[in-house]
Amino acid sequence: MTEAAAAANGAILKVDGLVKSFGGIQAVDGATLDVKRGSITALIGPNGAGKTTLFNVVTGFYRPERGSVVLEGSEVAGAPPQALARRGMVRTFQITKALAAMPVIDNVMLAAPNQPGERLLGVILRPRASHRREREVREEAVELLDLFGLARLADAYAGTLSGGQRKLLELARALMTQPRVLLLDEPMAGINRTLGATLLEHIERLREERGMTFLYIEHDMEVVMGHSDRVIVMAQGRVIADGLPDKVRRDQRVIDAYLGSESAG
Amino acid sequence: MTELFRFAVTLEAFTDLGFWTGVGVLAGTYTLFTLGLQINVGYSGILNFGQVGFMALGAYAMGILVVEAGWSFWLALPASILVAVLFGLVVGLPALRLRADYLAIATLAAAEIVRLTARNARDLTGGNQGLFGFDGTWADISETIEGWLESAGWDNPESLFPLFLVVWIVALLATAALAALQRTPWGRVLRAVREDEDAARALGKSTLAYKLQSLSIAAALGAIAGWFLALNLSFLTPQAFEPLITFLGYGVLVLGGLANYWGIAIGSIIFWTVQEATRFIELPISAEKEAAVRFMIVGLLLILLMAFRPQGMFGKREEMALGD
Repeated sequence: MTEAAAAANGAILKVDGLVKSFGGIQAVDGATLDVKRGSITALIGPNGAGKTTLFNVVTGFYRPERGSVVLEGSEVAGAPPQALARRGMVRTFQITKALAAMPVIDNVMLAAPNQPGERLLGVILRPRASHRREREVREEAVELLDLFGLARLADAYAGTLSGGQRKLLELARALMTQPRVLLLDEPMAGINRTLGATLLEHIERLREERGMTFLYIEHDMEVVMGHSDRVIVMAQGRVIADGLPDKVRRDQRVIDAYLGSESAG
Repeated sequence: MTELFRFAVTLEAFTDLGFWTGVGVLAGTYTLFTLGLQINVGYSGILNFGQVGFMALGAYAMGILVVEAGWSFWLALPASILVAVLFGLVVGLPALRLRADYLAIATLAAAEIVRLTARNARDLTGGNQGLFGFDGTWADISETIEGWLESAGWDNPESLFPLFLVVWIVALLATAALAALQRTPWGRVLRAVREDEDAARALGKSTLAYKLQSLSIAAALGAIAGWFLALNLSFLTPQAFEPLITFLGYGVLVLGGLANYWGIAIGSIIFWTVQEATRFIELPISAEKEAAVRFMIVGLLLILLMAFRPQGMFGKREEMALGD
């Protein structure tokens, strides 16, 4: 796939033949998929389908054994997570990673890009640039916290937040990096319906306003139906279906995969 | 029978300026030493068990460059920092990728390598015979300061007082600099690394670079503490750099409290006051046993502190409880 071809079909992220195994178990076994720019794409599948492992490989937390990951036309398989985050692909975690012993506002401010004060030399040689950027960053962070209803908790330790609040904090933090592609690992798990609906509204608005691309993992098929342009289904490490939500729901392979996993589990 | 229960504490020592100057020099030296542990353990989540190795490198590099290589004292000081920092990078590059507990073992081993090398490289370090004669320049400076003190009206000042002054000026400057650094965006990334490295990486931070910087700063502080230890002893032997020294530093750290730079100075003063004051407890036992009793008293104090104030005197309880 050339850069021109990738741009032509509008894929911001392309995964091809990805393989990752753990001690003989093929967690991801030749997965191939692409995510269109500006789309909200759901990645679903039964337990153990390899969704989270795929996320970990795509975002650089695991090294793939084979296959390629192309982000905006460049091969990035094997690149470390921090490099990918700086290129605009950022993720959240299934089990939230709130920086517990840091205030909520610091959790969000940490994520800001282009802060010269994050380097020792920058602190020493460019203290004013650092201060100036810090003021901008604080404003942005407060706005984001406001958006997610966390503003009054800005100075609380992140470790005191509830599970749902942590999910929102993680999303706010990821947005602070100004990503172009956001990968969310079960953003709705463990939060109540109202909060989940708010979260989805935010995602849709960000797609409209900033043209951001979302790929999110969800375990429950029904949840994704009203809230995605496309659904990709994984089972046993492979992509078994890919298309519009309604079409995917009626796909016999998908039904078998879900029923099979339930009868087995 | 009464002889067996003889127990006496002489309080005279506490009004003696010489006692307090000696305690002050030790407390200042260990403040610098433990600031290094604070940035590693308290702010970066790096379990550094080899701080004494950096101290040994700073002291020996300074001593060897002056005595064996004939360098100027003033050049030997920064050079010795460089030696310690380079050693920190050599240890840190492979070891900082390890899990925290393995890193602890690796740093402990690295410090032992330094000590055992110092013991066996006799041509360079004098081995167990010791290394002498590096403090000529310091003796001149010390005399000059004594001269100032005399002209300020203090007849016959304590001979250790100039060292006391200099070590505390350096220790307080270092504390202020680190506390300021911690409030910058750089310090925020460091804390994020302590809290959750994967989260920091997911947000685009090169966590290994920050851990290497943290270890380098600890190494530099260890080396500076090494100068003052060397000038205080005026000779160097490998016995001064047993692994125990690192854990005395941890005692100071626990007492002062995690994640608070200013607490270290207070913790160090209290730790060394207790440690030195217990010398004046007279028990009807051998000197060897008495030395052990002193450590038991310090240990008991630390246990009591853990029971009633686990975050140390100035640490934040929330940060400890929420840490994991």
